[in-house]
Amino acid sequence: MNIDNTASQMRKGVLEFCILSVIKQGEAYPSDIIDKMKAANFNLLEGTLYPLLTRLKNAEFLTYRWVESNSGPPRKYFSLTEKGADFYKELEATWNELSNAVKAVTDIDASNNLNNNNNFNNP
Amino acid sequence: MKQVININFQGRVVPIETTAFEILKNYTDSLSRHFANEEGKEEIINDIESRIGELFQERLTKGATCITDDDVNAIINSIGRPEDFEPMDDAQPTAAASSSYQQQANTTATGHKRLYRNENDKVLGGVCSGLANYFNIDVVIARIIFVVLLFSGVGFLTYIIMWIAVPSTASAEIGGTRKKLFRDPDEKMIAGVCSGIGNYFGINPWIPRVLFLLPFLSFLSRWGHWGGFWDFGDVIRFTFSPTSLIVYIILWIVIPEALTTSEKLEMKGEKVDMHSIKNSVMEEMKGVGKKATNFGKEASGIINEKAKMVAGDVQNFNRRSRGGIGNVIAMIAKIFAYFIIGCVCFGLVMGLFGLGIFSIGVFPLKDYILKGAWQNFYAWGTLVLFIAVPIIGIITWLIRKIAKMRSNSKILRLTFGSLWTLGWVCIIMLIATVTRDFRTSSRLDEQPVALTNPQVNKLVVTSSLPFTKKYYGRSWIRFEPFENLIDDDTAYVRNVYVQIAKSPNDSFQVTMKKTSRGYDKKDANSLASLINFNVTQKDSILLLDKGIAINKTDKFRNQMVIITVLVPVGKQIRINKGIGWPVHFGGGNWDRDWDDNDYYDSEEDIRWQSDVDYVMKADGLYTMDGRKADGWNDKAAKKQRNNSRTYRYNAIEDSLQRRQDSIDNRKQQKLDSIDRRLQQQKDSIERHLENEKNKIENGNTFVPNAETLDLTANIMPGVMILPNTN
Repeated sequence: MNIDNTASQMRKGVLEFCILSVIKQGEAYPSDIIDKMKAANFNLLEGTLYPLLTRLKNAEFLTYRWVESNSGPPRKYFSLTEKGADFYKELEATWNELSNAVKAVTDIDASNNLNNNNNFNNP
Repeated sequence: MKQVININFQGRVVPIETTAFEILKNYTDSLSRHFANEEGKEEIINDIESRIGELFQERLTKGATCITDDDVNAIINSIGRPEDFEPMDDAQPTAAASSSYQQQANTTATGHKRLYRNENDKVLGGVCSGLANYFNIDVVIARIIFVVLLFSGVGFLTYIIMWIAVPSTASAEIGGTRKKLFRDPDEKMIAGVCSGIGNYFGINPWIPRVLFLLPFLSFLSRWGHWGGFWDFGDVIRFTFSPTSLIVYIILWIVIPEALTTSEKLEMKGEKVDMHSIKNSVMEEMKGVGKKATNFGKEASGIINEKAKMVAGDVQNFNRRSRGGIGNVIAMIAKIFAYFIIGCVCFGLVMGLFGLGIFSIGVFPLKDYILKGAWQNFYAWGTLVLFIAVPIIGIITWLIRKIAKMRSNSKILRLTFGSLWTLGWVCIIMLIATVTRDFRTSSRLDEQPVALTNPQVNKLVVTSSLPFTKKYYGRSWIRFEPFENLIDDDTAYVRNVYVQIAKSPNDSFQVTMKKTSRGYDKKDANSLASLINFNVTQKDSILLLDKGIAINKTDKFRNQMVIITVLVPVGKQIRINKGIGWPVHFGGGNWDRDWDDNDYYDSEEDIRWQSDVDYVMKADGLYTMDGRKADGWNDKAAKKQRNNSRTYRYNAIEDSLQRRQDSIDNRKQQKLDSIDRRLQQQKDSIERHLENEKNKIENGNTFVPNAETLDLTANIMPGVMILPNTN
């Protein structure tokens, strides 16, 4: 078992959810997304982000429009589609369930005591 | 001091240091390789490039004069290297961390696996473990298969080719500075393949050169020592071993040439850029794929689809069954499917290869058939385009398939396709033009052959020279060149047919019919009359030439000699082995041109067998033991005689029978002679008695003397001999 691998597996699961969440708050340019994630201490490489955005766009969860930029080529601004919004809602529900469950499980002492007591009381 | 160049990057002119540009280029290449199988690859790369362009613009507006190495490295660090990207695919999380890397390396975003040599679990080059990983089978199984194949010789070559062609997992690892296989244009003899291999393995380029030449040389010496395996020795000695040539051409196509300085440095294993070591890392083994891409022919649709279909079925099945047994069955089915596909490809290649070797063997004889520059051109076209091109094409395609190189390989597909089409044109034209030269047959009359002694009791047909050499079946396509017999311009065709028929009178007669084919009747007739075939008789032996001489000017046009031996009733004939072929007209597969000859029509089809004595009777040809001549039955009889047990038994029976016959004969003769003598003596006694009687009657006295009384004693010894003959 390799800590980096496990950690990256964990991150991978929530990455799409986080990105969709950022875009849901308003039309976003990829470096905006990176900045917002960074601000929340979630480091993300652009090389990871771009393919992910393309895949989400190909899955019709995202759409984009070109915006002329004065510093370089035109930029793609991404926004959520209706389908994407539904997808986000499902992910949100899953995440809430999951985070509660993880919290409950990882609170070791409390759960251990609870379990032991339950076992003892119900032979 | 650094050189600065201007590049057009995403529609903007960007001044950039050459070293920085090299880094940038390596980086974008590594990206396009990383996303090679990603849907929307172009878009992703374009997005990243426009982001890079934006960052460049930012630096330049801040007052930088040009983009430096540091700028590029900083940008790359912010965007991330492919190895740092988080896996985007739906790959199932693996239980063991050690295998997670393989999973990552072998599975791309779209779910297609790529074949890598596994550096983490290798015995030699990691080919087997890479294959095992790819097909989801145990490494041990893959290794066993390879070891088994190794004994048949195929495995070794396959392993080496895959070792070279399949990229290593290290190519995706961080810091994996490894050499790349390039063709070396600086030290090349032909295309730089050998010197490139030398560079890659860090050896003198002459070692691979000698290895390539070795089969070639051994091929030569083999021909030299054996003096020709097919009797073509003299001619083929100047040709070459096709194997090493084909391997060389394939490597030529597959391995890229080191053109830029960085590629040359990579080839020699030195770090591409002393200032930015990290950036050169990702280039490992990219070359093979890229170069072959340029030539590359994409998977021929049908097989590809079939393979996918099979793989899909197997996967479905796998999903459905899920159990351990299901997995085993799926695995077996998978192996089986790949095995069959492999066998088909292998068979195809080997078939063409065999055809190629056969053609090369027959090729020196083309001068005996082909007339004019065009036919020669077609022959060469057939050899090169029709036979060699698909061999190279299939092998190249296989390597590309195994290494999972995908690209728009229209150029290669088009090249191979059009070359092969040309090959088809050549072979069709060759066959058409050659057939045209064979289309008419000659119509020359049969000529009688003068015999010195047609009255012999038995005629043995044999060849004028003893046959020590092996010769081939009765196909006109086979040649029998006897070196040093006349000269190099002459080949011998064993196209002599012998027919036996009944003679109308009491003497042997021999006739000869010369036939040939040709472009028109005149051509065919003149070729037929040019045939020089000698038939001579020496006592009871009829000597025939052993073949028809064909020279390069008159060409081979299926010249043929039909010798007909007319055997008188009661006389014997024997045709020795190796003299011509029996003529059978019964099958109806013979040229109708012969039908106009009343002789063959009227006569019953007489079948004969070589080395069997026959006797002609009023109603046809018979073997000595009284069976009617029949090629097939004679053979059976001969076989029976040749069988040692029955032979002995038959021999005893035969000799007994013969002895009995001779006893009977002699008995009969003796009895006849005794009868005759008795009759004579009786006559003489009667005459004597008559005389005596007359004498007595005439008054003379007669006294019977001892002589007359002893008559019986003279007869008896003759009778007494008989028991002794037993």
